[in-house]
Amino acid sequence: MTDRKPEDGAPKGVTRLSFIKASAGAAAGAAAIAIPAAVAADHSNGEITEPTTPNPKEPVMAYVRDARRGEVTLMHGTTETTYRDPALVKRLLDAAPKPASLSGGELDVLAP
Amino acid sequence: MSSHREAPEISKDPAADNADVYAFVSPDRPDTVTLISNFVPLQDPPGGPNFFEFGDDVLYAIHIDNDGDGRPNISYLFRFTTRLRNPDTFLYNTGPITSLGSPNWNKRQFYSVMRVEGKDTTAYGTASSNGTAHHRHHHKHHHHGLRTHVLGRNLACPPCNIGPRSTPNYAALGQAAVHSLPGGASVFAGQRQDGFYVDLGAIFDLGDLRPFQNLHLIPSAPAPGVDATSTLNIHTIALQVPISQLTHNGSRPTDASSSSSVIGVWSSALRRKVRMIDHANDERSESGPWVQVSRLGNPLFNEVVVPLGHKDKWNARYPVDDKAFAKYVAHPELAKLLPVLYPGVFPHLAGLTAARADLEAILLTGLPTGVVPGFQNYTGKTMADQLRLNLAIPPSSSPSRFGLLGGDPAGFPNGRRPADDVVAIELRAIAGVTYALVNKSYTPDAAAGALEQWQPQQHATVPGPGRYQSSFPYLGPPLDGFDTPAA
Repeated sequence: MTDRKPEDGAPKGVTRLSFIKASAGAAAGAAAIAIPAAVAADHSNGEITEPTTPNPKEPVMAYVRDARRGEVTLMHGTTETTYRDPALVKRLLDAAPKPASLSGGELDVLAP
Repeated sequence: MSSHREAPEISKDPAADNADVYAFVSPDRPDTVTLISNFVPLQDPPGGPNFFEFGDDVLYAIHIDNDGDGRPNISYLFRFTTRLRNPDTFLYNTGPITSLGSPNWNKRQFYSVMRVEGKDTTAYGTASSNGTAHHRHHHKHHHHGLRTHVLGRNLACPPCNIGPRSTPNYAALGQAAVHSLPGGASVFAGQRQDGFYVDLGAIFDLGDLRPFQNLHLIPSAPAPGVDATSTLNIHTIALQVPISQLTHNGSRPTDASSSSSVIGVWSSALRRKVRMIDHANDERSESGPWVQVSRLGNPLFNEVVVPLGHKDKWNARYPVDDKAFAKYVAHPELAKLLPVLYPGVFPHLAGLTAARADLEAILLTGLPTGVVPGFQNYTGKTMADQLRLNLAIPPSSSPSRFGLLGGDPAGFPNGRRPADDVVAIELRAIAGVTYALVNKSYTPDAAAGALEQWQPQQHATVPGPGRYQSSFPYLGPPLDGFDTPAA
């Protein structure tokens, strides 16, 4: 998390969570995202779980845009920001399902 | 319609809209079964310059359940890709298309087909650690054991039928797009004339069934039915497969009374969970598991039986979960409406309040032995919307468009053939004709047995000439955009 280099005018020296809060506040013109304390404080590695609650109406979404450059794009509401954050990209890639079985995560053998 | 635009969400997504499914023992090759699934409904033939095509971003599937548990043991999966020869013209074709390799054909489509086998082949590409209990079930019990076999790649679709200058001799062009697959199977994917025929305007105008118009609550003079899909095309995926490749034990059944002679068939369309549009880079990206957005087994199930507020959910679920919708089959809304819309015409139906075991059998389990003498297509207690086909029943030499109700066990609801009048069959069934099969004390109303869309003199022209052909893929060539609609 130390190699964070916000792009496109994003404020320097902010943590990812603080940026989410700041950008959400700017977009909504009001409150930032409420980060549950349990989530904000949890720095352990992730574990697979089976969520029991429905998807949020408009989820915050992150995706690895360029693994080689360590770029990750974060979307919230009608905003989108791309960070250079190799540590986060590595963690996401490490957590991504591996093509271990035909029932999930596999490369699409029929892909055009 | 059978399932054209039948649910709110899928009505906005034609490329993935599964409109009809057919399954029958091939009349000219009775050692094979033909499976047909139609998509992209209601095509007006002149609809260019972006003529109709399959979705490159859709996974199309035809499923076979051969052990009666409501889950598919075999799935045929199809993916399409579109190739543009010349991006600097607005034209679909720059001259006559006389072959599938014609350099005049600018926008072409190709596809791959794969066969997946296993205990539950819906698990292919759909895995998620969240979601429904059904998905969790996949993870716990069916994570492994899927076998895949790519049967063909870069198979050419035919072009759309543009007109006599652009696509002369279309029939030959279409047949050139029938491809052989390993193991003696054949495949076709492309535009055809819609084989489903229905008096759509009448049905959705408060059930104003034209032969009975004068008896309707809001009466009008009797008039002939209107074949509302007679000038429309559709996109067809058709497979012809040796019967022995679809059965549980790998044999060709000969005993029509055996449960192992029956297979369940349905089809579906899936999209990736996430799609991103990025105009800055002129690209679209997709990610995540495939998610089912459309499915179809029996015609009219979601269209007429499932209430409006539940149709999207029905499209998203797998047939094995159809018990949740069984109450709509047991007490169909249309059966309650008919006596109201036609006062005094359906008195016995008006008094029928019991659960419709006949409809549950036809649509959800198959007909067990003893209901129709000499016939069964029962797959067990699991309630699942599937076309159920008894493979040991040979094709009929003189088919009845009323199928089993017309004394022809080779037709709907034993599978479904392209020319079966499924609207009339299901109207009669819902009106009570088939309830007498499971309750001998019930006498159907006389009108129930007379329900159909067409007056007698129309049977010579409905369904129209050229709508079908005698060999694979059985649906006739599409209507061309120059001549349709007629001047």
